[in-house]
Amino acid sequence: MINGRLIRTLVVKDVTLIFKNRFFAFITVFGLVAYVAIYFLLPRSLNDTLALGLYAPAVPDVLRERLSGDGLDLTLVDSDAALQAGVLAGDYPVGIALPADMLAQVQAGAKPQAQLYLTAELPPELKEAYTVLLEEIAFLVSGQVLTIEATETILGPDLAGRQIAPRDRMLPLLAVIVLLMETLALASLISSEIEGRTLQALLVTPMRVQDLFVSKGLVGVGLAFGQAMLILIITGGLSRAPVVLAAALLLGALLTTGIGFMLASVARDMMSVMAWGVVTLIVLIIPALMVLLPGLATTWIRLIPSYYLVDTVHRALNFGAGWGAVWQNLLVLLATAVAFFWLGMAALRRKFQ
Amino acid sequence: MAQAVIIAEELTYHYGDLTAVNQVSFSVAEGEILGFLGPNGAGKSTTVKMLTGQLQPKGGRAIVLGQDVARRAKRVQAEIGVCFEITNLYEQMSGADNLKLFARLFGVRDFDVDALLKRVGLDGRGQDRVETYSKGMKQRLMVARALVNRPRILFLDEPTEGLDPASAQAIRSVILEERARGATVFLTTHDMVEADKLSDRVAFIDRGEIVALDTPRKLKQQYGKRLLHAEVELPDGRLVLRQVVLDQVDTSQAMARLFSEERVITIHSEEATLEDIFIQITGRGLT
Repeated sequence: MINGRLIRTLVVKDVTLIFKNRFFAFITVFGLVAYVAIYFLLPRSLNDTLALGLYAPAVPDVLRERLSGDGLDLTLVDSDAALQAGVLAGDYPVGIALPADMLAQVQAGAKPQAQLYLTAELPPELKEAYTVLLEEIAFLVSGQVLTIEATETILGPDLAGRQIAPRDRMLPLLAVIVLLMETLALASLISSEIEGRTLQALLVTPMRVQDLFVSKGLVGVGLAFGQAMLILIITGGLSRAPVVLAAALLLGALLTTGIGFMLASVARDMMSVMAWGVVTLIVLIIPALMVLLPGLATTWIRLIPSYYLVDTVHRALNFGAGWGAVWQNLLVLLATAVAFFWLGMAALRRKFQ
Repeated sequence: MAQAVIIAEELTYHYGDLTAVNQVSFSVAEGEILGFLGPNGAGKSTTVKMLTGQLQPKGGRAIVLGQDVARRAKRVQAEIGVCFEITNLYEQMSGADNLKLFARLFGVRDFDVDALLKRVGLDGRGQDRVETYSKGMKQRLMVARALVNRPRILFLDEPTEGLDPASAQAIRSVILEERARGATVFLTTHDMVEADKLSDRVAFIDRGEIVALDTPRKLKQQYGKRLLHAEVELPDGRLVLRQVVLDQVDTSQAMARLFSEERVITIHSEEATLEDIFIQITGRGLT
């Protein structure tokens, strides 16, 4: 039978001790401010326009009209030298110079040479995109039309015109970091109680081991969940699918609290909690990086328990996904959270003995 | 005879192949102070852990306040106070907050923290963080913490080890006050002088077994020899020592001879210490 008075006493004691630890008090308060600041400093919209400098002495008007559509920021220059200067000055990442006699060469059946200027910092995938663009321009200049007609069909949510802003891609990562940082505070507290033998003193009072686990669990889940929710509230993230998000974060807090118990069972002091915690943090944030950089997605990432938290938070936050879309994620998250919490308790119980 | 509140029946505990406590049996009466003496590693702390429900005995059983500790540890722990050998206080909390925390855990109503702090000589320092306390102050706070629930039995594990005389004396006074209140005290120590001063009975434990258990007086009578040391002056002016064994059949004749035949300069009696007796019984000292 759980004793409410004992639980309340232990929870108050634990929260007091966590905030008496200057490092974790600082991390908690500073973290909250820093994460919110990072969110608001990141761009609120995604600029997906390709900028291009073009030197083409014989550009037909029709080409200008065709190129000045959505998604391309075209700058026409008067000379090859001006084109290169614009690239170096960062006015546009790529410059294309077409020969003055390009049309004549094409008509004569020759292969005109076009020049592509780019900086070393240009990512390879963008370089590829500009090369394709050059080929497209070459077709337009030569008056030829592609013999393939392409039809676009958007699968899943159509993000045209409402791409996910970097700050919103960042939120799942912030949520995982917040959950784990608060858990590290709990792990450090438990570890110090084991090493300082204060738990030994608690265990010769009417308090039972299960009271201890319930109170530690409440502190761990409460702090982690509370701070993650606070960040979502401040950043406006709770405006879409708030109940799904709350459920995901609650299960995530349970999961990380279980991990915190495990860390406490292997660590000897705050430094070793931090050392183990950083390793754990790196593993747990990999799924969040997948949201930031979608190209990283691989199937093994689903083996990391935080994947189901991150994916749910991402889909609920950025696409407004409801229960129907994420219930499988939540089910797996619940199972792993319960399993980790139970394993954490077992590891700690062994350490107590 | 007062009722026994601690009964150990063939208590046994071993860590792997090492037998720490081997079939130990004894009882402690209500209101009694039992000194539990032995060198480091003799099995004192393991015995205390079994009596206080921190360890499950591998054999035998511990009955405390009429309850089998292994089965009803929490019921027993609600009525006892334990002061550990190693300081285990919440160092970042104040002394008063440490005591209040444990008072709440024990469900003590109307807890007077200031009175308890005053009892152990920590009045005026209650609001300071424990990490600022000296070793003696921390130990006094440990004793105070063991008293928050007005325990019927007080288990004290080396409560005065390494303390300054003032702190040690403060703790001894508290122990005697608790006995006067009617509490039973189980005092684990390897300080034989302290045990002799405080204990109604003492138990010697060595290599996990109790080798002697009785009042200090009876142990001294049984194992020790009372001696009389006399310093006498010889005719040539030299000083020599003479020794008379007391409580012997011919003691009075030996005394008479000493005073009639020699010039006695100084005289004093000496009785065996508990340490002498421990060495006599076990063949080794306490350290």
